[in-house]
Amino acid sequence: MITVGWTLLALTTSAALPQEEETTWVIRAETVYTGAGEAIEDGGFIEVEDGVIEGVGSGSRGGDGALEAFAVTPGMIDLSVRIATSRWSVEESDEVQLTARMADAVDLYSYRWGREARSGVTSALVSAPDNNVLGGLGIALKTAGPATLEARMLRDDAVLRGSFGDYPARNSTPNRLAVGPPRDFRTRRPATRMATEWVMRDTFYEAIAAERHGTPFDGAEVLRSVVAGERPLMVQAWATQDIRTAIFFKAEFSIPNMIIDGAAEAWREVELLRSSGASVVLPPMVFGERARDNSFYTLSCAKTLHDAGIPFALSGHGAERSDERLAYQPAHAMRGGLPFEAALEAVTMAPARMIGVDDRVGSIEAGKDADLVLWSGPPFEPSSSVIGVLVSGRLVLDPRPTESVEK
Amino acid sequence: MKAAMSLKRVLSCSLALVGIVGSATAADKLVVEAGRIITVQGPEIVDGVIVIEDGRITAIGPASEVEKPWDAPVVGGPEFTAFPGFIEAKTSRGLDRANESVDVAPFLDVRDSLDPINFFFEDCLRWGMTTINVQQGEDCVIAGRGRVVKPHGDTVEEMTVRPSFGLVLSASPKRGKSRATQSQALRQAFVELREHLEQLVQEKRDGDDRARREALYQGRDLEGERAKGRAMSSTAWKVDGLELVPRGEVDEKQEPLLDLVEGRVAAFFHCSQPMDVHRALEIARDNGFLARTTLVLGPACWKAADVVAEAGVPAVLSGDLTHTERDPVTGDEIETFVPTVYEEAGVRFALSSENSSTRSLWYQAALAVGGGVPRETAIEAVTRVPAEILGLGDRVGALAEGMDGNVVILTGDPLSSTTWVDTVVLEGEAVYRRDEDVRNRHLLEGIAQPGTQPSQGSSDFRSEDEPDVEPTMADPEEGGDEETPSDETPSDETSTEEEEDTQQ
Repeated sequence: MITVGWTLLALTTSAALPQEEETTWVIRAETVYTGAGEAIEDGGFIEVEDGVIEGVGSGSRGGDGALEAFAVTPGMIDLSVRIATSRWSVEESDEVQLTARMADAVDLYSYRWGREARSGVTSALVSAPDNNVLGGLGIALKTAGPATLEARMLRDDAVLRGSFGDYPARNSTPNRLAVGPPRDFRTRRPATRMATEWVMRDTFYEAIAAERHGTPFDGAEVLRSVVAGERPLMVQAWATQDIRTAIFFKAEFSIPNMIIDGAAEAWREVELLRSSGASVVLPPMVFGERARDNSFYTLSCAKTLHDAGIPFALSGHGAERSDERLAYQPAHAMRGGLPFEAALEAVTMAPARMIGVDDRVGSIEAGKDADLVLWSGPPFEPSSSVIGVLVSGRLVLDPRPTESVEK
Repeated sequence: MKAAMSLKRVLSCSLALVGIVGSATAADKLVVEAGRIITVQGPEIVDGVIVIEDGRITAIGPASEVEKPWDAPVVGGPEFTAFPGFIEAKTSRGLDRANESVDVAPFLDVRDSLDPINFFFEDCLRWGMTTINVQQGEDCVIAGRGRVVKPHGDTVEEMTVRPSFGLVLSASPKRGKSRATQSQALRQAFVELREHLEQLVQEKRDGDDRARREALYQGRDLEGERAKGRAMSSTAWKVDGLELVPRGEVDEKQEPLLDLVEGRVAAFFHCSQPMDVHRALEIARDNGFLARTTLVLGPACWKAADVVAEAGVPAVLSGDLTHTERDPVTGDEIETFVPTVYEEAGVRFALSSENSSTRSLWYQAALAVGGGVPRETAIEAVTRVPAEILGLGDRVGALAEGMDGNVVILTGDPLSSTTWVDTVVLEGEAVYRRDEDVRNRHLLEGIAQPGTQPSQGSSDFRSEDEPDVEPTMADPEEGGDEETPSDETPSDETSTEEEEDTQQ
């Protein structure tokens, strides 16, 4: 079968691409949404040299060799990506894993990296799954490039990942045998929302007590960095009661930097969220059903957070389906009333700031990494698509129409 | 809950009032005004007017050229876009239980399980879907007759656009079957039909009136046309002497299949894998209903696009528009955007709201454009093509004189993410208005449970802007009810225990 252009996406994952690739380009577009100040309209260009943005401006440059698109945006950043985090990545020896590092578990050869990269996600925060109360340290990586942590590193041990609500308690059962040791891990895990929160608080109090007594506490350093605001505590909380629990927890332990992930019902507690200073990562939109934990995720949730001035990011949550991925989320938020600029920020600069990588990624500015998304039409509209992606100057998805692809 | 009272009921109540209060002329005339009319079958009209009388469009054109009846109510306005309404070629929603446990059940009719107050129909109005073909589910060998409906009306009859339309067949295995037994069951159904007809002819020739007695016993209609025999008209196989058998004597359970073989019923043949396409086409060809067949194709079937094109049958693209698979050797993910493959192969296709995303047709059409399908083709795939598949090409799917008065009034371009359905007009009646759609407001903005109020925020919590004491692990602010100041001597065993007690 013969087909023309980029419509037939038969692409290899970035891991399979050769190591020495061209990382110097000129990109031309009708509109360049820099994510830093006004967009460049009526024709703009971006010069990329050795994977770094050299210059941005209006007008035309680059001649025949330039990559062309209708619009360019900064590469998208997803703070809640599930890559190589199957249930086998859940540590079952203890629900609290302060020192477990995703850096030790992440599979750079997973096809999921290519999936994210092709759909326009250029940076991803990968954390432990939500089954542990405190699951360990997440890692922020580029979605494409050489298959080494060093080459792809954006921020190591970027967040401490925790979880409130139903998830850590799911499948847990009380020890039904009245005597004897628990049969397995799940018989002693928290079995309710209350116990999940209790385990989290207990960990913090144990650490405090250990510090007072001068006794060693595994992971004290991690908790210290969280309380000092050097590292965000990223907790999952979908339903209202869990969002409230997270906010009270933040106040109780004076945690300066908290990211509430999956906060589908954030719209119910806007004032509380605003005064708490926590930031939010919203899950993919759902239609005709409730989100996880039976939470009611409204279409205007993002708009409500925006209007209240609460820092928030959108996320694809490692969606399996192509039209559920991050690139399609701003459209739903915009349908709910979020202005385009705010939607753009919610997938670029906002998540970059949340994990402190905004000096390298999140906008199109000279000196920043050349993470760019090229669009066939107005960005985020479902009738547009991602036709080109650069990750640190590497062309992951080529916007140039190929003559034909033999299938 | 009052708030949750059916929108349909609210609307029908208000319409009933209009019916009583308003004059007869007002009820059967309606004028739609729009800054832009997307006619689908002709050029777009700027500042246009559509006049609907007795449920049909009697005039359409620019405001300067169309005379508006003085006594007709007006809906829409210059800020709106008028659109013919989205058409769903095949869905199994809106039914109470879509699948039947009996393998071959063409004698069933969705009339008996179609639920007028199903939330699906309310959602159809919200998404601007005006004509919907409701069929049984695909977990079948041969399922019953479907029905084309509009998403408004208190009874199935009120909703009906075309009764007893189409049969569903599945080339993909019903639950518990393999592909081999599925194919066998499909072929067997037609073998049994043939045997039944041959037996009827034989009995007639033998002078046995068992079939007649059976028909009378079952209370079947044996009058008029039903009392007459008719030679079998099929392009595939025939049973000689069928003209001897009054049609009313053919077993009810076999009759729908006879209609199918004689080409009087449309067939919706479901295929989930490309391999199913070959068998579906073969069975349709062998039994003479290929010309009436529409393939309902799952995402993986794009690999058989050329086969579909060669057969010349239309397709309904059910499920997600991107097909994803993994290379069995390299593990690489291969994504294929399905509509462009059919488009390039020359297959006429309709998009379907039977997918796992928004479940709307505008979104599927927009995605198709995003994937590279020309805009006109994408729009036709949710209007004209499904209308033609349903045999309603002259009634719905476009805005023109003489067509049904179905108009969807949109706040913007039909394929834009920020466009909303403002008003839905069905056969000249404004049956949906967004400003009256309470549930839509709930989906958009949420709903507070009665007696609850969101927290008002603040004084309980320090604002982050407020400079505070350097936080230390040893001193969680607001840490517990009773507190040991941190600058005191390290606490002893007792205080720790107390602290833990409070937490427990």
